[in-house]
Amino acid sequence: MSATTSPTSPVLPTGSSLRAERWRLRARNARAFGARYVRRGDGVVGLAILLVFAVLAIAPSVFVGPLETATTATGASLEPPSAAHIFGTDELGRDILNLTVHGARVSMTIGLLATLITVVFGALIGIVAGFLGGSTDNVLMRFTDFFLVLPTFVLAIILAPVILDIVGTDAELFGIRATLLVIVIVIGLTSWATTARIIRSQTLSIRERMYVDRARVIGSGSAHIMRRHILPNVVNLIVAQAVLTFATAVFTETSLSFIGLGDPFAPSWGQILESAQSAGAPGLGAWWYIVPPATCVVLVVLSFTLVGNALDDILNPKSATRR
Amino acid sequence: MGSRYLGRKLAQAAVTIFAIVLLNFVLFRMMPGSPERVLLRNPYLTPEKVAEVRKEWGLDDPLLPISISLDPPSVAINAENQLFAYIRATLTGDLGYSLKFRGASVVDVIGQRFWPTIILIGFGEVLSIVLGLALGAYAGWRRGSLGDRLGSGISLILYSMPYFVIGMPLLLIFASALGWFPTSGMLTVGATYSSPIDQLLDFFRHLVLPLATITLGLTGGYSILMRSSIVETRSEDYVQTARAKGLSDRRVLRVHAFPNALLPMVTIIAISLGYVVAGAITLEVVFNWPGLGTLTVDALAARDYPVLQGIFLLLSVTVVLANLGADLVYGVLDPRVRS
Repeated sequence: MSATTSPTSPVLPTGSSLRAERWRLRARNARAFGARYVRRGDGVVGLAILLVFAVLAIAPSVFVGPLETATTATGASLEPPSAAHIFGTDELGRDILNLTVHGARVSMTIGLLATLITVVFGALIGIVAGFLGGSTDNVLMRFTDFFLVLPTFVLAIILAPVILDIVGTDAELFGIRATLLVIVIVIGLTSWATTARIIRSQTLSIRERMYVDRARVIGSGSAHIMRRHILPNVVNLIVAQAVLTFATAVFTETSLSFIGLGDPFAPSWGQILESAQSAGAPGLGAWWYIVPPATCVVLVVLSFTLVGNALDDILNPKSATRR
Repeated sequence: MGSRYLGRKLAQAAVTIFAIVLLNFVLFRMMPGSPERVLLRNPYLTPEKVAEVRKEWGLDDPLLPISISLDPPSVAINAENQLFAYIRATLTGDLGYSLKFRGASVVDVIGQRFWPTIILIGFGEVLSIVLGLALGAYAGWRRGSLGDRLGSGISLILYSMPYFVIGMPLLLIFASALGWFPTSGMLTVGATYSSPIDQLLDFFRHLVLPLATITLGLTGGYSILMRSSIVETRSEDYVQTARAKGLSDRRVLRVHAFPNALLPMVTIIAISLGYVVAGAITLEVVFNWPGLGTLTVDALAARDYPVLQGIFLLLSVTVVLANLGADLVYGVLDPRVRS
């Protein structure tokens, strides 16, 4: 920030000083937001936990070395925790700590991609339906309601093998294997409806504002108004919604992997728990095989929920948990 | 209740169920080589049976009631087509034949696994509605107290756990380490019972851990939602009035705040049924409970599409009907929504 701007400018800023003014406003809003966020203790704790997991997900090999496989396993089968393997080993002799840290990358990547699809699709439908109104709104919202009512997890279970049968399990895109991509797509397809509903209702109120009328009067098209006037005003809501969606995406990914739709070659936490279940770990009392990945799932889902709720309280004008 | 409200809700549910059947049809036809491949590779069906099913499902007829051809440009209306045949078969309870279960009809396969799941979810719902609403009402009424902080914290943690993540530690502690309860199944394998009471006791011993898991999972969600509903109700005018009249704190909560806070919960509980069913699937895998969940996972592993689709149809129609029921109950309870 420059300190040269006169604090009490008597005239409205123009030209380049208008841009400076805009940045000054943005910085002030960001500071105000930051001040409100730090006051939310739960949100700060959630954010701290997520930062730790983000670091693990970005560079897992730095902490625990490369992902162990059946051939590079470093221990014996189902060893309890020891100095060499602080969380013990699985039935193939792989170090559980190694698997769990690498699982962070798989779980978080799938969560992130699924969230992107969900939020982009949900926001697009919500903005278009809310802004255009009329029969477009009607059709889109019936479509949305259909997806809201459907038990989406069950739909995901039958969609995943169908898509896999069509594309084949060996296909790859950007180096991500088809099995994982299918999970991403399936979560995206089945969870955008809530976002669409929320964004639509906010769009409905913004549509009535004066500056939208003004833009229309000076000849702006619908697409332009949606992009330049509606979108910037719902972007806060989209961010809050994205964080909450991330929690459900990780939750759903874990469940889908647990019932056998995951990729054994890129184990997420759900996939590790699935291996534990099929190796009979609960019955054998092999708690070290279950507790680390399960704790990670709970911590990440909980943290995203805490951060999402804090953001929603601050950013969403209609937040239900405000009081 | 207004007949227009009733009619609108009924029509919406009917359209949704029709859309579900349509979705099932599209999925069934989207798979490579399907339904021919799925039907014909089933080694447990006799050639006569295959011929009969081909005819019944109209597999030699065109796919859709209207076919449009561009060369030469023409539109034909097909009285006999696969879509109508599929809808007709679905309505008469013909959902196809299982691959995994040696050609048994899907309806029979699902029927055998239906009750264990219903018992689990049914008991779980009842217990968690009572517990969740009580806990949520207490936390919301004493907002900010130590009890509220503790209760809300625990609820939020439970709410963040997939059911199998709750179930696996319970299994480790109470079945594996302490040996209080059996680790899997619904009845002891190969046991002979001296009386039906014995058998019932064995069943309950197997039921405890899965039931505890589903109850814990659901209670978290219900108590969070009930808490925010009570907090909202607390600031309503009629609650202030009740206080101003000098009613006791207990009475204000029981007579004025609680019943009104309960209203939105009716819908929420119905909507959440879809999630409960999903959770039950993973839960049944942990405890090897012989219900629809383990059936789903077995069918998934064997790529037994007819069974998967039958389960999807059953569960989604159930959820739609539950929503319809909630809408109607809500309409009776709260006259404001009918307009």
